[in-house]
Amino acid sequence: MDMEGSPQVTRRTTRSCAVSSNDVESTKPSESYKPTLNDLAFGKQPFGLEDLLSRFPCRRTQILEFLRLLGPLNSPLFPVLVYGGPSTGKTSVTLQVFRHLNRPFIYSSCVTCYSPRILFESMLNQLLFHRKDSKHSYSSVKRCERPSDFVNYLREALENVISSLKGNSGKSNSKMSGRPDGTMVYLVFDNLECVRYWDKSSTILPFLFNLYDILKMPEVGLIFISNISPDMYYLNIGYVEPIPLYFLNYTEDDLRHIFMVNQTNRKLYASFLDVVLRPFCRVTRRVDELAAALSSLFKKYCEPLSDKEVAPNEEMKRKLFSQIRPHISSALNETFQVRSQPLLGAEANKTKKTNSSKMSGILEDFDKIDFHMSTSAKYLLISAFLASRNPATLDASLFDSTGVSDSRKRKRKASEKSMDQKEMAEQELHMKGPGTFPLERLLAIFQCITSLAEDSLDEEESRELTTEGSSRGLMSDVLLQLSSLCNANFIIKGGSCPLEGSTRYRTAVSEDLALKVARSLKFPLSKYLYRR
Amino acid sequence: MIINLSSLNLIIELRKSVFSISNYTLQLVKSYIFLRGFSQSQPTRPMGREKEKEKPSEEALNLLRSRLSDPNFIFRPLSDSPDSNYSKLKFIISTSVTEACNNSILLLGPRGSGKVAVLELVLSDLLLQYPEAISVIRLNGLLHSDDNCALKEIARQLCMEHQLLFSKVASFDDNSLFVIAMLRECGLAHKTIIFVLDEFDFFAQGKQRLLYSLLDAMQSVNSQAVVIGVSCRLDVDQLLEKRVRSRFSHRKLLFLSPSKEETERLMEHILSLPVDSSIPHNYAAEFNGRLKKIFSDERFKELINTYLSYNFTIGHLVRFLFQAVSYMDLDVRFLSHENFKTALSSNQRQPKLECIRDCSILELYMLVCMKRLEVKEQNSYNFYSVMTEYKSIHDSSQTSDNYAANVCLRAFEHLLQRQLISFIDNKGHNQSVEFRPVKLLISSAELHQGLKSYHQCPAILLRLMDR
Repeated sequence: MDMEGSPQVTRRTTRSCAVSSNDVESTKPSESYKPTLNDLAFGKQPFGLEDLLSRFPCRRTQILEFLRLLGPLNSPLFPVLVYGGPSTGKTSVTLQVFRHLNRPFIYSSCVTCYSPRILFESMLNQLLFHRKDSKHSYSSVKRCERPSDFVNYLREALENVISSLKGNSGKSNSKMSGRPDGTMVYLVFDNLECVRYWDKSSTILPFLFNLYDILKMPEVGLIFISNISPDMYYLNIGYVEPIPLYFLNYTEDDLRHIFMVNQTNRKLYASFLDVVLRPFCRVTRRVDELAAALSSLFKKYCEPLSDKEVAPNEEMKRKLFSQIRPHISSALNETFQVRSQPLLGAEANKTKKTNSSKMSGILEDFDKIDFHMSTSAKYLLISAFLASRNPATLDASLFDSTGVSDSRKRKRKASEKSMDQKEMAEQELHMKGPGTFPLERLLAIFQCITSLAEDSLDEEESRELTTEGSSRGLMSDVLLQLSSLCNANFIIKGGSCPLEGSTRYRTAVSEDLALKVARSLKFPLSKYLYRR
Repeated sequence: MIINLSSLNLIIELRKSVFSISNYTLQLVKSYIFLRGFSQSQPTRPMGREKEKEKPSEEALNLLRSRLSDPNFIFRPLSDSPDSNYSKLKFIISTSVTEACNNSILLLGPRGSGKVAVLELVLSDLLLQYPEAISVIRLNGLLHSDDNCALKEIARQLCMEHQLLFSKVASFDDNSLFVIAMLRECGLAHKTIIFVLDEFDFFAQGKQRLLYSLLDAMQSVNSQAVVIGVSCRLDVDQLLEKRVRSRFSHRKLLFLSPSKEETERLMEHILSLPVDSSIPHNYAAEFNGRLKKIFSDERFKELINTYLSYNFTIGHLVRFLFQAVSYMDLDVRFLSHENFKTALSSNQRQPKLECIRDCSILELYMLVCMKRLEVKEQNSYNFYSVMTEYKSIHDSSQTSDNYAANVCLRAFEHLLQRQLISFIDNKGHNQSVEFRPVKLLISSAELHQGLKSYHQCPAILLRLMDR
């Protein structure tokens, strides 16, 4: 805005900084929110038991058991371990139970708090009502790295919170919203299984399990949430186990119940589930994966229907079933795929091909890669794949300077012994995985391939490529592409070779993906693959 | 560092008035114990929301739960007899206080047998008895096994007890000088410092500098200290170095689990409601009557025996009773046999079978393929080997469950997440998931049992397992 009129600044300033310094009527930075005691409660309006049970349709027994273990107000609690498979509702049930009971709690997840220091500081921040903001340069209220410091600070903070809670409960019994009930504070540790992979797991995990005994405060309740069963936590040092609470995975009927919630056209969706749920349940029973897979299939199911609100009768159900049936098996094979193209684009494509059968349409999607890559990145990917798959000694013959690939094969009758040997060799290949290669080999193969590609293109196009830059100009691009491919996990940086000391790389793409990429470049990959 | 040295001077000044300071701490301690006892013996009345009187069953529930979480209440009746560990410990500590000598003792026993609880009982009684002559320093091996940490914590607790300023940036040497000086001063003032070292085996790791310096400081004429080590390892004195062990008096107190009669008496004592408290008399009497009936039932005796046969410490028993009490149905208003049974079954879990029941059919296929690979004596296998086996199963018997490789890979990753299989080594991070060798974490018997109890398990899987 005022860039042209700004005075000559001697030191480098960013554009926004220069603008704001000239701005006379700069808005004051808004007052950052100061958390108080009421923030320890869930924050929204608490609800009754029936509401809670209806939010989680198939979790009645677990919720009731959890409520019984937590007990009435101000009643002390032994540590509780809530465990079960992923996406079974453990975290959400815990949080909603605390909302229902309106009791103060603090929550920290061992996924976001990925080291002991962050975990300790996050809990202290919540207990000391400190919010990280720009005024204090986003620092925590106390620096705390060791468990000994953490216990001291925690004890202090908890005593403060509990005394203010006791003061609150002694005051008038106004049912003001937001004020938490009771004098107990609950500490919720989520994703406890991540602690096992920390460096200091041998000290932190026993510390967390023994925290209840160390603190010796009856007003504190500990709740651990974990994805794996408690027997995987057995440590060298023992601990009195927390009370287990198991959230089992949903059965097929439970899943049907869950998916029927909040559906506008229940009969239609019920008929859809009748067809689809059983085969998909054989693959996975996790709610999140099924929801993603079923939602796209439901759109396909409803396609021939002009009126989406109609309740289908038997004949319509049969017709819809026969229409969706060929899609089910292919959809099963893409159950876990996340589509990166927007669905609108795909639908627009489909309406164009009215006459071609739907099956070939799906096959076309299979052949295409659904992410964008630059041409040089694609060539680099193919070269990496070839370098990992082929032994180094073959490079000379495969990538002949004349561009003639070795097509001579000595035809020999395959004896049984050689077949067995071939099988063993293939098994070994599978066991070892793709081989490693140094950077120089990768670049050599890359140059051979791109020179071949240049030769095989039209004159016009080849002129375009050469005007972009000589191969020397392409070199710096290539190295940049290589590092981005490494970051995207297409190429893995392996250990260094013991003799030379340079790093070696390894490809991480499957043959399918490499073939797809090669097909998009019209590159004959199979000619270069070494097959024993 | 400067603060600590100046507080040292302060101590010398205050040596004459040390009795007045310790009087003050005594008042604090007394009021603290009083308040704690008060808050735990009375059932808490929730203020605010409920205007009407609490139902007697809720009061009873609150009372029982708070009793079960209070180790003082639980271990007090066990400590009445003269040859219990409580009396022995009390005798040892009180003699060393009165006769102004040094002592060291180890409390050993499995986890949950009440070592720290009995120790706290002893200490609270002694603090009442000799108010100005004892100060307690508590360390925990899990937190303070590092020498720097431990000395800092000792200095901090000493400062807190004597109202001195503690500086967080004091160095290790300053802290150790301070501690030694404090030991000397307290000895001259005839005040015993009791060091409680919880998780003693952690202090015995490494160079044992802290133990040596503590025990060495005790050897001087002026000091008056008692070192109490608490540990679950019964052989922890074998872990001590020679020089540490020579300075250690080999007194050990073993905490064993109580006999069956004692256990039954303890359970009755904990779960019976008091007849003269705020709970209505007839309700309490009926509650206790029903409780006696449950206890004398044969099924209950069997149940308790089953539980105690593998969880034999009082800590475990208390946890079991806590679960049973919390399952009490407030509509029924009394404890029933069902509560105990539910508590027992929630403790008798079979996690691997539960995992299998949670798996989908494709994941079961993966597990069965791995089992077959193991049977064929292929010791190391990865995802691709499993896929070849899977494809061969499909080729030989046309199953309806033939899925593409990417779907199977996700099922494989689910199994990894649930820890039914795991990678053989953690070092292969430069290989993708499909190539790293894996191993099964579930035995074939468990897998077999899981498949049999699986709802609608495909028959082919059972057949493959049987072969």
